[in-house]
Amino acid sequence: MKKLFQKLFDQRMRALVLKEFRQIRHDRRLAISLILPPILQLMLFGFALSATVTNVRLGIVDDSKTPESRELIAVLTESKSFTLAGYYASVNDLGDAVAQGKIVAGAVIPYDYARDLNRGRPTTVQFLLNAIDANRATISRGYAEGVIQSYAAGLRSQGIHATVQTVSAAGDLGRRGQVQLTSAFLYNPGLVDSWFIATGVFGLLLLLNSSLISAAAMSREREAGTIEQLLMSPATTSEIIIAKIVPLFVLLNMMMFLALGVLKVVFHIPFHGSLPLVVAGGALCILSGISLGTVLATFSKSALQAQLTGFFINPPLNSLSGALNPIEAMPHWLQPFTVPNPIHHFATVVRASMLKGSGITTLWPNFLGLLLFTLALVTLSVWRFRKQLS
Amino acid sequence: MRRVLAQVHKELIQITRDWRTLALALVLPLVLLLLLSTAISLTVNDLPMVVQDFDDSPASHDFIDAFRNSLTFNVVSWPTSKQADQALVSNKARAVLIIPEHFSRDLARGAATQVQLLVDASDANTAKLTSGYAGRITQAYNTNINPSANTPPVQTAIRLWFNPGLSSKKFYGPGVFVLGLSMFPPLLAALAMAKEGEQKTILQVYVSSISAFEFMLGKVMAFMAVALAECVLMLILLFTYFGLTFVADPSPFLVSTVLYAFCVASFGVMVGSRIPSQAGALQAVAFGGFLLVFLLSGLLFPIENIPAGLRWLSNFVWGRYYIEIVRDALLQGGGWPALWLNVVIIGAIGSVFFIIGWRGMRRMQLKV
Repeated sequence: MKKLFQKLFDQRMRALVLKEFRQIRHDRRLAISLILPPILQLMLFGFALSATVTNVRLGIVDDSKTPESRELIAVLTESKSFTLAGYYASVNDLGDAVAQGKIVAGAVIPYDYARDLNRGRPTTVQFLLNAIDANRATISRGYAEGVIQSYAAGLRSQGIHATVQTVSAAGDLGRRGQVQLTSAFLYNPGLVDSWFIATGVFGLLLLLNSSLISAAAMSREREAGTIEQLLMSPATTSEIIIAKIVPLFVLLNMMMFLALGVLKVVFHIPFHGSLPLVVAGGALCILSGISLGTVLATFSKSALQAQLTGFFINPPLNSLSGALNPIEAMPHWLQPFTVPNPIHHFATVVRASMLKGSGITTLWPNFLGLLLFTLALVTLSVWRFRKQLS
Repeated sequence: MRRVLAQVHKELIQITRDWRTLALALVLPLVLLLLLSTAISLTVNDLPMVVQDFDDSPASHDFIDAFRNSLTFNVVSWPTSKQADQALVSNKARAVLIIPEHFSRDLARGAATQVQLLVDASDANTAKLTSGYAGRITQAYNTNINPSANTPPVQTAIRLWFNPGLSSKKFYGPGVFVLGLSMFPPLLAALAMAKEGEQKTILQVYVSSISAFEFMLGKVMAFMAVALAECVLMLILLFTYFGLTFVADPSPFLVSTVLYAFCVASFGVMVGSRIPSQAGALQAVAFGGFLLVFLLSGLLFPIENIPAGLRWLSNFVWGRYYIEIVRDALLQGGGWPALWLNVVIIGAIGSVFFIIGWRGMRRMQLKV
């Protein structure tokens, strides 16, 4: 151990690290790519990706044309969930409008709506929903049912519709009680979508930017043909590798703090858990990103080729990480593929620690996964790099 | 024309020479289509849920069984000695159902019983879906135990059109199809064009008899061919694995696909002619082809959800118009009256790209 420390701080090592730092400083594109993409990506993803369903364009066919039906329309459209996009004369016109994408939902109020209501007979309002977006359809179906339900409950309690009340009073005799479910939304009571997306993108950008930048840095030496000069110097291969990794690691950690600042200041994500835990996870994530980039670089002849090869690695890593959507929503056969993914473990750590305040006692499996993956990648990259140097 | 075709031929030979570019153009889009559209889904199944039953009566067991029988929830065991919300903190469950004491007594008396559902809302969308599903299950349970109770005065009959099974694969498949087309052909086009500038082979073009316009056209046509080949492969996958078909007249789709291929190929050539470095061109395409189309074209979530400050940008994102066309052709069937404007806009954006690229070529000529 002592020997290792001595090695880390001896003259040659310092000189090598200094050389790498200087090289990075001369590369203006690299410096920009350390600052600009992370901030841009976090903001773009966090703001643009929102699953909240509001202002669903609703078209209406009102065959009843009575004060009662107009009241129902007012109730439907006064909420933020639906906006009135127009009235249609017939169900066919409404159907065409849905097919052409002018409206997303349509409501059909039957001609006997007011009559049935006043006689105390149940009446049915039909909804047409464009369901090609399954998520939006599920949520707007919930909205429609909720609005109608509370409207119906309001009708009963108003007592205007006398018949309705008597019927319900008569039915009460042999009746069992109702179960009322109240949902409490923990950890994110405002149901802000960006808290989920931004914490996921945080892991994505740590890993991807680390791998991109390190792939570029590692292949630069070979592209310029200066690798032979390095090899001729008295430095050992492990010294060369460590000297290459240390500056990148330091700079990327600074990028992580920048991104953490954006999470805090722009998205107002609460930090309930321990910050050191998140930072430790992030450092592991960066290290595995650097190793991934190094491996990519050793397999390619130029920085460009390394980046192109990255196209084959990164999309699977992204889509199988659960960073942008819940893993439970994936098909069962796909879910095990998220286990060897560092982004998945880091996203879990960040979310649980920041939003829920979980500690290491509950998060250790994810940390272990992250650690194992990082170790495996570091070993692989050192082995590949050595092989390449010799 | 002969010169243009010769240029196309030369370009296609260059593409097929490197296995990486070939795989990038033809294999990766298919992998991406399969992976992304199956992995990106927002409708959850088998959500782990913990039940704390303080009543422990036949009635409460009935109620829990209603949850157990649903596809959405998967009731997992949790020791009663531990705090319920610990299950959420430790990621063992996404929701906790708490049934109070006197549940069955209140039910028998005809009183209303409060049951609480704690939802892990760190994923807001899933939390909303979870609470919606739980509400529906409770409602079904209520009507089940009270068949004699009067029905509410107004009921809803909801028809789900175009995707009644609510399969998210069918929604994301066409979107990822567009993403693949917007990403890989322009990437190759930009790299090929930037390479000419970087390695100065553009000089050879200038001394040959081919004009700048013919050269551009040859490049664009070659990468249109790549795009169309990619498109055919991905369509085969969409028709087989995703179970989609043309629901209406496919002519708007066919016309716009050719135009879109022109649009993305021109975009790539334009980027390559303006940025004469391959690494820079790659980043520009990754931003324009991937990031903009992925985020601002309504691929994942409706465009209306994007905050107004960003939403206007989506009007300039070419993928947005094509996504609408593809979804319409494969799911909705609105046809020409719904789509003619989109087709025109794609053509217009493609022409703008082509003209900018052409002017960029001329500037390149002056510089070299």
